[in-house]
Amino acid sequence: MSNPHLSLIDLVKSYDGRTNAVDGVSLDVRKGEFLTFLGPSGSGKTTTLMMIAGFESPTSGRILLNGRDIAPVPPFDRNIGMVFQNYALFPHMSAADNIAFPLKMRKLARAEIARRVDEALALVNLDNFGAKLPREMSGGQQQRVALARAIVFEPDVLLLDEPLGALDKNLREHMQMEIKRIHRETGMTMIYVTHDQTEAMTMSDRVAVFNKGVIEQIAPPLDVYARPVSRFVGAFIGDNNFFSGRCEKAGLFAADGLGPIKVAAGEQPGGNLVLLVRPEAVRLLGEGAPATDNAFTMTVDGVVHYGDSVLIMGTANGVPVRLRPSSVAAAHVREGESYRIGWDAANGHLVHA
Amino acid sequence: MVRLAAFAVALFIVAPMFIVVPMSFSTAISLEFPPPAYWLGYYRNYFTDPNWLRPTFNSVIIAAASAMITMAIITPAAFAMVRSRFRGKALVNLLLMLPMAAPSIVLALAYYYFLGGMRLTQTHLGVILAHVALSVPISFLVLAASLKGFDRNLERAAMNLGATPLKTFFLVTFPVLRPGFIVSAFFAFIHSFDETVVSLFISGRDAATLPRKMFDSVRMDADPVIAVVSTLLFSLVFCGTVVIAVANHRRRQARISRG
Repeated sequence: MSNPHLSLIDLVKSYDGRTNAVDGVSLDVRKGEFLTFLGPSGSGKTTTLMMIAGFESPTSGRILLNGRDIAPVPPFDRNIGMVFQNYALFPHMSAADNIAFPLKMRKLARAEIARRVDEALALVNLDNFGAKLPREMSGGQQQRVALARAIVFEPDVLLLDEPLGALDKNLREHMQMEIKRIHRETGMTMIYVTHDQTEAMTMSDRVAVFNKGVIEQIAPPLDVYARPVSRFVGAFIGDNNFFSGRCEKAGLFAADGLGPIKVAAGEQPGGNLVLLVRPEAVRLLGEGAPATDNAFTMTVDGVVHYGDSVLIMGTANGVPVRLRPSSVAAAHVREGESYRIGWDAANGHLVHA
Repeated sequence: MVRLAAFAVALFIVAPMFIVVPMSFSTAISLEFPPPAYWLGYYRNYFTDPNWLRPTFNSVIIAAASAMITMAIITPAAFAMVRSRFRGKALVNLLLMLPMAAPSIVLALAYYYFLGGMRLTQTHLGVILAHVALSVPISFLVLAASLKGFDRNLERAAMNLGATPLKTFFLVTFPVLRPGFIVSAFFAFIHSFDETVVSLFISGRDAATLPRKMFDSVRMDADPVIAVVSTLLFSLVFCGTVVIAVANHRRRQARISRG
């Protein structure tokens, strides 16, 4: 990343002078990258976005766009697009007038504005909706207009602040694909804020996981999923089993209650650790099933059916364990019964407690 | 039963109009009910008599000026009170509301001496200043309420799209809040147009407002033109209310139809 497009350097924001909503965030965004800020509410992701857009000024730290510090640049001169969670469409203007707004502010010629508004409407598949007022459109259509308005002036960066939070599940999945398509077609740099880990997983080139005002991990989604750097990241993204213990020598983890567990040799020993094992990596060991590196007997406390898969919650040696087999593989599982379960060493991942 | 009661209350409220409206068409030389006969003579009197037209004109001028000055004061006040936190905010709020809490007669007396000291009694300016002070609370409350419901993301969006703060106000904030501004200004106008007690004390002859003229007229000669003025004012308010009701109804229908 020799030439980052947008850089945040030690960004800090404090509203009250005592606690920091954003507590030293540094990251580089590549041109054309789709970067997601993922984190619970209050983790500082939206505040960081507001500082990039210029609606909040950093308490300290710098924001560089194409190598230029944009701290003194007011929001209306930044050329950074933004899509708001509640759309923020101007209610007294038609869809076309909403989309034309940034072009009028830039004093483009009337014919050029008309042409680009038509293009933008086509890009979001709303060709015949230009004359409609926002209140005459559905939530999904309004969000498309908001998107078209934010990209029509070709901003250097597009910020999206939980843009799909107000939509129902099916529409949300559809809009996720739409946003990805627009990202592909325009090649625009996008920063996407969400607290929905699935959204982050499916859409992003990289995910920045926010917690308590800092970025805990920034990496491609599959890396974050497979190798979380902390207990928080492991818990926030996907489901996980947490086994605390110590690692006295490479490849062997002494878990409290469960005893020795084999882990991959590359995992680092030392100190108090937590072993993370994804529930889908834990298998039910029926007769004739291939043996796993680690195996325990578990009593089932509860079963939750999801249709395609089953979440089984139980205890092994007093330690809670969760597994997520397919519903076919778990058809015989009953509450109160005991079963053999296990996982391979490669599926365990150690982080500091 | 409830409907009947509602109807009875409504009837009780509008009953005076059933007396005033017929009296305005009466031929009697003084206020008299029921009227002995009907004609339009007193309407002609009202529209030709400078003693009536001048106070009407005064009232319109004073009400319009009061509404404008009130808006100029409360617009920044409402934005500051709704959007910022500052030292002494509660005190400012109290000062803004004070004219509403004080009895009219007390204020009237105070204005009489205060404006008299500045030689502003019996002038338009004096009445306008007093009316501005009196209409500030209600106009402020109306505007502040509509400002509280305003989504600030609209302003953020406008700025993000390249609008300067001034353009943001005139292209987004004001158009979206226009109903609030109109209602707020309307309240200021009506409050001034309707105000009697303070006007009685300070408007004198040259700046006499319509309510003051009506009051004087009832006391002096019970001129039936009063009934004419009352009827005209009533029709004006009635028409205004109908227009607003129809507009609201249409808006609601539009909302329902888009479901």
